[in-house]
Amino acid sequence: MPGNIRSVSFAWMVLVYLLFCSRRASVGAAPICANAQAGCHVLSLANLFDRVIQHSARTHSISNDLHSEFEQYFLPSKNHIGRVSRNCHTSSILTPNGKDNAQRMAREELTEVILKLLVAWRDPLWHFHQNMAHHHDFNNFSSNKALEMSDMVHELRKGVEKVAEKMQVLGIISNTVSSLASPEASLPSDSAEWRLMKDYNLLSCFRRDSNKVQNYLKILKCRIVPEHGC
Amino acid sequence: ITHDSSLSALLCEACLCSGVWWVIFAAAAPLEPHITDCISRDQATFQCWWSPGNFHNLSSPGALRLFYIKKDSPASEWKECPEYVHSNQECFFDNAHTSIWIPYCMQLRSQNNITYYNEEDCFTVENIVRPDPPVSLNWTLLNISPSGLNYDVMVNWEAPPSADVGAGWMRIEYEIQYKAINTTKWEALEMQPQTQQTIFGLHIGKEYEVHIRCRMQAFTKFGEFSDSIFIQVTEVPINEYTFPLTLVLVFGIVGILLLGMLIVISQQHRLMMILLPPVPAPKIKGIDPELLKKGKLDELNLILSGGGMGGLPTYATNFYQDEPCVEFIEVAVEDADTGEKEDNQGSDTQKLLDLSQPVSQHMNIGFSNVVSFPDDDSGRASCYDPDLPDQDTLLLMATLLPGQPEVGKRAMAAERGARPLVHTQTEGPQTWVNTDFYAQVSNVMPTGGVVLSPGQQLRIQESTSGAEEETQKKEKEHTGGEDSEEDKEKELQFQLLVVDCEGGRYAAEGNAWQIGGPHSAPMPGEGYQTIFPQPAETTPAATAEGSQSPYILPDSPQSQFFARVADYTVVQEVDSQHSLLLNPPPRQSPPPCLPQHPLKALPAMPVGYITPDLLGNLSP
Repeated sequence: MPGNIRSVSFAWMVLVYLLFCSRRASVGAAPICANAQAGCHVLSLANLFDRVIQHSARTHSISNDLHSEFEQYFLPSKNHIGRVSRNCHTSSILTPNGKDNAQRMAREELTEVILKLLVAWRDPLWHFHQNMAHHHDFNNFSSNKALEMSDMVHELRKGVEKVAEKMQVLGIISNTVSSLASPEASLPSDSAEWRLMKDYNLLSCFRRDSNKVQNYLKILKCRIVPEHGC
Repeated sequence: ITHDSSLSALLCEACLCSGVWWVIFAAAAPLEPHITDCISRDQATFQCWWSPGNFHNLSSPGALRLFYIKKDSPASEWKECPEYVHSNQECFFDNAHTSIWIPYCMQLRSQNNITYYNEEDCFTVENIVRPDPPVSLNWTLLNISPSGLNYDVMVNWEAPPSADVGAGWMRIEYEIQYKAINTTKWEALEMQPQTQQTIFGLHIGKEYEVHIRCRMQAFTKFGEFSDSIFIQVTEVPINEYTFPLTLVLVFGIVGILLLGMLIVISQQHRLMMILLPPVPAPKIKGIDPELLKKGKLDELNLILSGGGMGGLPTYATNFYQDEPCVEFIEVAVEDADTGEKEDNQGSDTQKLLDLSQPVSQHMNIGFSNVVSFPDDDSGRASCYDPDLPDQDTLLLMATLLPGQPEVGKRAMAAERGARPLVHTQTEGPQTWVNTDFYAQVSNVMPTGGVVLSPGQQLRIQESTSGAEEETQKKEKEHTGGEDSEEDKEKELQFQLLVVDCEGGRYAAEGNAWQIGGPHSAPMPGEGYQTIFPQPAETTPAATAEGSQSPYILPDSPQSQFFARVADYTVVQEVDSQHSLLLNPPPRQSPPPCLPQHPLKALPAMPVGYITPDLLGNLSP
């Protein structure tokens, strides 16, 4: 009888181990990696694109809210687009201005443009948030939004980088995406221009650029992986 | 003019002035040609409309020209509208001329180069996007509430075809609005990007109007509303059937329950009898059940022992009625010739007794006749056993039979009840003192003794001495009882005196049947004989009370002679001791067998029971 008990307990332990291991594999506690490395839970490209697009949509929504609040509280006049928009610091980045142009652009270029934009906005948003926190004119809600916006842009950039990696791995795009290295150097020398912008201008510009990013990502996804949502 | 009135006047003046100023402005400022609106439907093209304002001379087509500038570079210029639609005073910008995220500014110029420009007319295209309304709006019924008053509807549609949702260029969210037809306020549902939505809680029978519009996500400008659709759901006929059906069922069940309860309540007693039959209470015939309850044990005992007024008389009579002992006494009439004692013929008892025959036979016969029962089984088991007359039976018989020589012999014995047996064979026919053969039992004493009526003659004498002694002694039957104490010595000691008429032989042997027992004082002056059960005698338990060796001779050895007594006498009176005083029988021929028993020994007391035969003998 002790032999029977031992064998039964051993079988039981094996079963428990298998259950736990399988569950751990399925839950996704393993890190997401673009490459099919061992031990990683691999997400599909479509899945990655969906996550990134959701992220960009959220970013744009927050920027829109902040912009509306700003307009409402500080600049109640109707339309300021004509006055403001020419001073965005990202104006030097060439971006496709229409659907046709975006669809005609190469995937690598488009991906690069997205990454450039995201990189360009990391520091300004951070400083904007600092300004908002110090200036007591803004309420906490707006300050929190600014902080969230800054964080999201940061994460969005990482996500897009991962998407680019995956696309390069899959051979969809070539390895000519150069924005991954030294993003700070890509900024023009008059990068200090953004410090001169007023908060309202900054918000307007970012609102525009977040919309660009969102649109570009969507177009990219529907061109590369048009399974669902396109 | 007071202070208040001056203040109010000032206020009024200010109001008036501002109003006037506004009116002046409105009236004075001519309305310039201006851009009315610019709208993009698909974020790829857009249109602008203008108006000449109050300048009606510029309303003709071509009088005003629209110029725009795209500020995508510092060296941009004003360009003219690429496509005019003069009928609408509209300028259409196609894909080639449309750039997103780039500010546009509009300008109107007249023929004589007057420019009407407003800085507020600058925009970026994504901000002026108003999508077309969704198309193919329809609805389906989801469900109806259980009460049948509300229902849910699923509305679905398609994205506007102009919006390139497929390419992901535009992300659109939709807003459904509905209202009942006769109301004015629209109910708006939450915005959501799906192309279907559920409307909850619509009312049956009401008609609803539904329309939809959409806008770009994270933007503020809505497109126009779609055409309305109308939703109406009439009452479902099946409700009419199910609701009354359930009502009927409920009422039916309630009615049945009520009916059952009524039946149970009305037939309660009968049901109780059927289900729970009553348990009979304890009952004893003739005794009140109240006495059986706790705490009344003494009364119960009293009743049971026959002392109270309870139902026990019935009990007693029942007992006696059940007892066949005294019911049947079969008497066989013996031949008169066989009787040896011609002297005894006068007595019925003598007639009954057949003394000529061998005594034993007589005795037996007599006994058997006297106290035998018919040979059926009536009462045999409980009373006498006629086959084997036991001692007690014989005793009884002996006492009943007067003058039995053997019995008298027995009676002479001093011992009390030592030998109850009666030997009857040896003696011959002897003269008997005529004693009455029949005795009527009048009552039963609590101690068990039988109280006999005066009709009996008991010649029970204790005869210790011989017959001479007995002859000397006078038997007095104390019927009077007043002189009982005086005649204590001569008291009536009932002894069985066996008189031999020829020889005067007495056969008084026998055990002493003492009346009253040795330990008890002889009963003086008793007209009748009280027979007590012999305490020293062993009594068979099978016999009844009266049949036990009951006859106890009186204590005194003085034998007394019983005069012959008549069969029946008349009770003269009852003395204080409840003795019956009888009339002396008429002196007839004295019995010849009587010993010289001087009648004068009998004082003024009446003789008592003297048979005519004995009377003859009495006379000396």
